[in-house]
Amino acid sequence: MSRKPSDAPWLDWVNVALLVLAGIIVMTPTAWMILSSFKPSHEVTAYPPTLVFSPTGENYATLTRQTPFLSYAVNSLIVTAGSTILGLLFGAPAAFVASWTRITWPAVVALMARMAPGTLFLLPWYVMFRQVDMIGSYWALILTHAVITLPIVIWVLLPYFDAIPRSIFEAAQVDGCSPFRIFRRIGLPLVSSGLAVSSILAFVFSWNFFLFALVLSNAQTKTLIAASFNFIGEGSTNWGGLMAAATIIALPPLILAIVVQRWLISGLTLGAVKG
Amino acid sequence: MASISLRNVVKKYGAATVIPDLNLEIEDEEFIVLVGPSGCGKSTLLRVLAGLEAIDGGDLMIGDRRVNDVPAAKRDIAMVFQDYALYPHMTVRQNMAFALEMRDLPASEINAKIDAAAKLLDIHPYLDRRPKALSGGQRQRVAMGRAIVRDPQVFLFDEPLSNLDAKLRGQVRAEIKTLSRQLRTTMVFVTHDQIEAMTMADRIVVMKSGVIQQVGTPEEVYEAPINLFVASFIGSPSMNFLPITLEGEQLRLAGGDSLPLDSGLSTGVSGPDLILGVRPEHFEVVPEGQGIPAEIMLVEPLGSDTLIHVRAAEQDLIARVSPDLRPVAGGSVFLRPIAGKAHLFDSATEMRLIGKNGK
Repeated sequence: MSRKPSDAPWLDWVNVALLVLAGIIVMTPTAWMILSSFKPSHEVTAYPPTLVFSPTGENYATLTRQTPFLSYAVNSLIVTAGSTILGLLFGAPAAFVASWTRITWPAVVALMARMAPGTLFLLPWYVMFRQVDMIGSYWALILTHAVITLPIVIWVLLPYFDAIPRSIFEAAQVDGCSPFRIFRRIGLPLVSSGLAVSSILAFVFSWNFFLFALVLSNAQTKTLIAASFNFIGEGSTNWGGLMAAATIIALPPLILAIVVQRWLISGLTLGAVKG
Repeated sequence: MASISLRNVVKKYGAATVIPDLNLEIEDEEFIVLVGPSGCGKSTLLRVLAGLEAIDGGDLMIGDRRVNDVPAAKRDIAMVFQDYALYPHMTVRQNMAFALEMRDLPASEINAKIDAAAKLLDIHPYLDRRPKALSGGQRQRVAMGRAIVRDPQVFLFDEPLSNLDAKLRGQVRAEIKTLSRQLRTTMVFVTHDQIEAMTMADRIVVMKSGVIQQVGTPEEVYEAPINLFVASFIGSPSMNFLPITLEGEQLRLAGGDSLPLDSGLSTGVSGPDLILGVRPEHFEVVPEGQGIPAEIMLVEPLGSDTLIHVRAAEQDLIARVSPDLRPVAGGSVFLRPIAGKAHLFDSATEMRLIGKNGK
């Protein structure tokens, strides 16, 4: 970024200081989590916290020894991938139609559903899924997690579709293309980076979502994040194990975010800089 | 290869009526240019023809088929958009093939059609490029190529030259005209540029506020404009208008000067509330006493001829004179309309009054 003549050098220092501050605020709990996962359990809660300690892999070993950690991870993957695909399957056409018709109220409704507290849905869903005997099934989790993924996909893709000149879609219409083919042959390829951004965001939010899995899963379909709750017992909590689980849970979203950060930033600011 | 018939067509956007009641017959293989200022409804009319906008009343026929409710995809028309609207993720070849693929044509036939169109438009070297890698002029050609391969019943052009620089515009204008002769297809071309309209059209449709003002050949709208609007819109620089009072055989101008009534203009009407219309090129410079005195305010030499901005009869006028005259700002000349070239308009109705000679 080139400096404008009027910019004072001290502004750069303020920038750096603010970024460092933000970094500390964000990174401290993360660092605490990662460090704690390598500490013996009794040292995690020690006060004052120990910064120098002999690292141990015991917490990670306990994780795999005492719990079916791998199958929880597979459950998480199935639910997250399933709900992300479901979100894309319905969210992408919805965003296209909302952009094309300029009727955005359904998208607003979807967003409101996302903003409502999850507990609001929980009881009705529990009753409904029990009536159709779906409690503990993957489908119950995938469908409920679509409440998270669908609004994300719609709202990330909307500005991408809006940014495509309308005449391109009209040219396709005149060229004899049906609306569905316009979506598939013209719309989708032109929002490919938006698809990547929305998939990743949907994946991360679904992966991290705790509440629905806690209530609607069973021992066989429990997701990682719900399973990690097992480490918090009444009276005694295995903090080391919990931190090890949390570190592993945080890895996939973290890796995804790093891999696609360039897309992510351009995608998140698209609506702001358009036009 | 189809005629177009618009009968009592109405188009509204919400409460606003953009086209109140439009009737127009376009013949097979005719090159029609819709011209008018911004917001006159010409682009709306083109979109109505394309099927991109539904009509709120009347009938729209392409050939002998009523297409009111036929979607754009099924109208068998091709359209060249103002911004070309090429598919950015496809190569030129894919852009041109797209419409043909939609019709499930075999690949060999698609390639043959693309090659023929590419040869016609001289775009062979770019066939494997994406639109992003093309200049404005090249994109324009590809947009036309995409329309040509379709071999449609009707071609629609929505101000396709407005994004080109002046030199290229003149070149493409000539190419489109040549193309229209080769393809022998009905073409409807929208522009706000009256030079494009004059140079390309078989017939010009002049529009204002969604209403057709005049339909005619370029010569007709230029030589016999039906009203003040058409007279001022067609021709560059615009026609000069002078308020006059007709006293017997004399035209009395503001400021007291008068001109003898041109025999061709004689209408039998007399009195005030008339407007004399004279195109800049229809003024002649005459010796003192034979024309109205005009003070030269500004001189614009164009090379082939010279425009002089003058103040005469309390009006600002423009006259096109010979460069040999060597006019200078601050000087004065005497001007007179060339016999048979001036027009009389009724200032109340704004309509042109037809002279006794029928013109």
